[in-house]
Amino acid sequence: MAIAPGSRTSAAQAPERPELAALGDDALRVALSRMQLIRKFEEAAEASYMRGLIHGTMHLSIGQEASAVGATLELARDDYILSTHRGHGHCIAKGADPARMFAEFFGKENGYCRGRGGSMHIADVEGGNLGANGIVAGGLPIAVGVGMSIKAQKQHRVCMVFFGDGAANEGAFHESLNMASIWRLPIVFVCENNKYGMSMDIARAMAVANVADRAPAYAMPGVAVDGNDLPAVVAAARPAIARARQGGGPTLLECKTYRLRGHSKSDRNLYRSKEEIEAWRDKDAIRRLERELVSHGRLTEDELLAIEQAAQKTIDDAVEFAKTSPDPDPAQLARDVYAD
Amino acid sequence: MPTELVVPKAGTRELSYAEAIREGLAQAMQADERVFLFGEDVGVYGGAFGVSGDLFHKFGPERVIDTPISELGIAGAAVGAAITGMKPVLELQFSDFVTLAMEQIVNQAAKIHFMFGGKATVPMVVRLPGGSGTGAAAQHSQSLEAWFAHVPGLKVVQPSTPHDAKGLLLAAIDDPNPVLIFEHKLLYKTRGPVPEAAYRVPIGKAAVRRPGRDLTIVGSSIMAIRAASAAARLATEDIDAEVIDLRSLRPIDLATIAASVRKTHRLLIVYEGVKIMGIGAEISAMIAESDAFDFLDAPIARLGGADVPLPYNPVLEKAAVPQEDDIVAAARRLVREGRA
Amino acid sequence: MPIEVILPKVDMDMDDGIITEWKVAPGDRVRQGQVLFDIETNKSVMEVESPGTGVIRDLAPITGEPIAVGTVVAWIDADAEVGASPPAAAERAKTPSSSATKEDAVGHAAASAMPAASVEAATVPRSDSIRATPLARRAARMLDVNLASVTGSGPAGRIVEKDVAAHAGQKPKRAVASADRLVPFNPVRRIVAQRLAESARNAPHFFVSAQIDMGALQTALRHPGGAQSPERPRPSITVALAYLAGRVLALHPLLNASIEGDAVRLHARVNIGVAIDDQGDLFVPVLRDVPAHTLDDLAREFARLRAAVRAREIVPDDMRGGTFTISNLGMYGVDAFTAIINPPESAILAIGRTADTPVGRDGQVVLRPMATFTLSSDHRIVDGVTAARFVADLREAIEHPEGLS
Repeated sequence: MAIAPGSRTSAAQAPERPELAALGDDALRVALSRMQLIRKFEEAAEASYMRGLIHGTMHLSIGQEASAVGATLELARDDYILSTHRGHGHCIAKGADPARMFAEFFGKENGYCRGRGGSMHIADVEGGNLGANGIVAGGLPIAVGVGMSIKAQKQHRVCMVFFGDGAANEGAFHESLNMASIWRLPIVFVCENNKYGMSMDIARAMAVANVADRAPAYAMPGVAVDGNDLPAVVAAARPAIARARQGGGPTLLECKTYRLRGHSKSDRNLYRSKEEIEAWRDKDAIRRLERELVSHGRLTEDELLAIEQAAQKTIDDAVEFAKTSPDPDPAQLARDVYAD
Repeated sequence: MPTELVVPKAGTRELSYAEAIREGLAQAMQADERVFLFGEDVGVYGGAFGVSGDLFHKFGPERVIDTPISELGIAGAAVGAAITGMKPVLELQFSDFVTLAMEQIVNQAAKIHFMFGGKATVPMVVRLPGGSGTGAAAQHSQSLEAWFAHVPGLKVVQPSTPHDAKGLLLAAIDDPNPVLIFEHKLLYKTRGPVPEAAYRVPIGKAAVRRPGRDLTIVGSSIMAIRAASAAARLATEDIDAEVIDLRSLRPIDLATIAASVRKTHRLLIVYEGVKIMGIGAEISAMIAESDAFDFLDAPIARLGGADVPLPYNPVLEKAAVPQEDDIVAAARRLVREGRA
Repeated sequence: MPIEVILPKVDMDMDDGIITEWKVAPGDRVRQGQVLFDIETNKSVMEVESPGTGVIRDLAPITGEPIAVGTVVAWIDADAEVGASPPAAAERAKTPSSSATKEDAVGHAAASAMPAASVEAATVPRSDSIRATPLARRAARMLDVNLASVTGSGPAGRIVEKDVAAHAGQKPKRAVASADRLVPFNPVRRIVAQRLAESARNAPHFFVSAQIDMGALQTALRHPGGAQSPERPRPSITVALAYLAGRVLALHPLLNASIEGDAVRLHARVNIGVAIDDQGDLFVPVLRDVPAHTLDDLAREFARLRAAVRAREIVPDDMRGGTFTISNLGMYGVDAFTAIINPPESAILAIGRTADTPVGRDGQVVLRPMATFTLSSDHRIVDGVTAARFVADLREAIEHPEGLS
């Protein structure tokens, strides 16, 4: 029986599947940390919202942590991501500071966007996050331009663009995949298919069963994966990232996942049943991963707890930071409309 | 790069408006490898209006890029390239097609710098051939610049002469903000002096084409040309018109217009875009709000496009937009009768 | 619609006037032609009549300060005009006034019971109901023009800037009432000032006076030979004196001379300039070759010259070449005066008024119409005796004007 790298198994452990085996302990800690961070972040954001501390609305990705973390785990720091309106997870996964993210949600001057963008337009440009986007499929054409830019400047970067199942029916999706393909751009298209546009079941909205089924139409590989299975997502993303980086062109990766909360804070979930929601809760990505790691002796329960608690602390501190941050000055209203 | 000469030195060689743009593009691409041109049929074909000409042969397929018919996609690509270090010049084949690209221009390009708290800039240029007079009818003849002059974060310019076409293009490429250049189809073949060296025409500065005492005629693009011709005719009947070529719609040079109105006491605004809710409405309001108001000796008059889709029949097509005769008649009415 | 009562120009050369007394009160019914107020000009006090019939209001207060000609000093709300069609210009937004007219007609009987303020509030035409361009309003502010008194030439009677400017042109700029006025020299004044200053500076003037009995001359002029007609105007005293002086001057060449350097030019002809004041300007038209003409000729010529001066059509030639000047201030009640020689002449004769004066005749005191003549002479050319002899001969000619024709 082969001993997987980094494992502390004894002969009694079940063999790891290749996807897990391909991940070292450190990578797993990072992945789990990030997933917990996202989860705690989203829960705290929800709590803050309900307490009236957050203006507007927000789109929570609770339940989708594995696709955000898994897809981005093996990106380099100077690789780019483009995100969706449900982009808190991608932002944290790419290494953003939750404190400055919360400050942004609270509309504060030291938020990532100086309080001008809010949840839907959060960006960490220095960290390679070229922004969440309030327009469905808005990031897809931009990704094409980023890909063109990487090629023109002869860089070895990759551009990963997230979008939802609803976006796959926008014209921008089709134009972007087509151009990325004809020009062999270094792009990984990651569709987080959480089954619903806003209220519309994807099965009724899309002519094909899987978003990945559209890949051949644009002459690129299409891969569908369980989006709540972190090691599987990492394993699916790995070749796509490598292909892009080596000049092989784009890949379409579909992460099948589920959002446990409504589309936004205004969503009363009238379009799905409680049973459906409960069924997916059992497939929770974090619990699944934790169970698997423990069963293979990769991390101990104590370590898991420590990771979770560390995440909670980071988030608690982040919220405090945001609460005490300064508000923007109305006299600065017109600042940054134009660059100098 | 030197600032512009409003009146080029005598003996400067002449180019057509299209050639002037081509020369500007070539000089910009020569000077900065981040600059590239893309759009539909700009490559081998040389551009629908012959503007890109032989640039493809000079600079190759990586600097002069033919795209699929995907206006939304390519507009977004311009955004993506711009925010990651390139300086894209996008040619939309007819300005009417900007409607397909509105999302990326208005929601993304115009707003990214602001939404991201000043962290990203979008130094892109979009060139749009617009206007009527070629029998292209309703969907290929519009003047939509007012829509974009209404959007904070964009800059909008309209050159009327070959000299300004090159100078404004180079200024636009240099500008760190998204700039839309509305070229006029009927002007591509007009000729005029164009200095050989590179130069910029400042964005946001109008030009007084003809000084006068009796009324101020403000126009842009082809209407500035028609206004100048009308002024020459009006001079023979002892009406001395001051003609101002706006050149920029956003930012607009209110100071020059107001100074002129203070001097002449009468204002006639001529524009091809549909008259109501157009740039003439805005300029009228700006003047009425300014200190030039106290110097008005007659109502502010506007000549704009008729409230119809552009018709196919050539007589109707001409009747739908202000012509030189209309400008002469309106000036007479304003000066002699004090009526708008 | 309301009728403006303006401060009228009642005199030539009048910029402004002071209302000294209102003859009517606000709310009074006035008739066209009725005297509304007195104004004082720089010449006199005049009555101003009403331009229309109706109820008068908004009388300008009496402050003693000059008011510019053309200023509206009151309004008359005319009675409903049967068959009158209002001029187009008046249609502009005078609606507050027309409704006020009805009010006034209804409330007229109780006008005296209504407080003046509320009548004003109901009927004052607001300047924002007048159509005028922003530039016209600005001009009105700067030129101190009341827009209500301007007729607009723009569409719908809109007042444009040139209407205001034209209106202001009727009223020359006036300084603020209490400040000094600086009036620049007009061309005539400039020349007069220069020449007379030169004369006073260069010619050593001395004066010889005589009281002369005008009785015989007056009689002779009252009964001239021949019929009078417009072609044959009655000669005035001044013309008669010019005629007589001309004949006497022929005998006294040094008084009909000009100094030229170290020499004296004795003029061949006697051209007598007669000083005339017209609207504050001094003119000296010249009667040429006086001894060669009859009195009638001179009268005719003088009439022509005087008319030309009044019409400001006098030409330089008519004022050139004088050899002697006479100036008569008698009609102003001046007893006697000394005049300044009109260069390059050598003498000037100043004539005072004729008044019945007690004189001794044949041992009796009798009243005779006596006038004092004062001759100013340039002592460089004329000595005292020369002057005295001339004056003596002049007296003789005046007191015994036989053969005056």
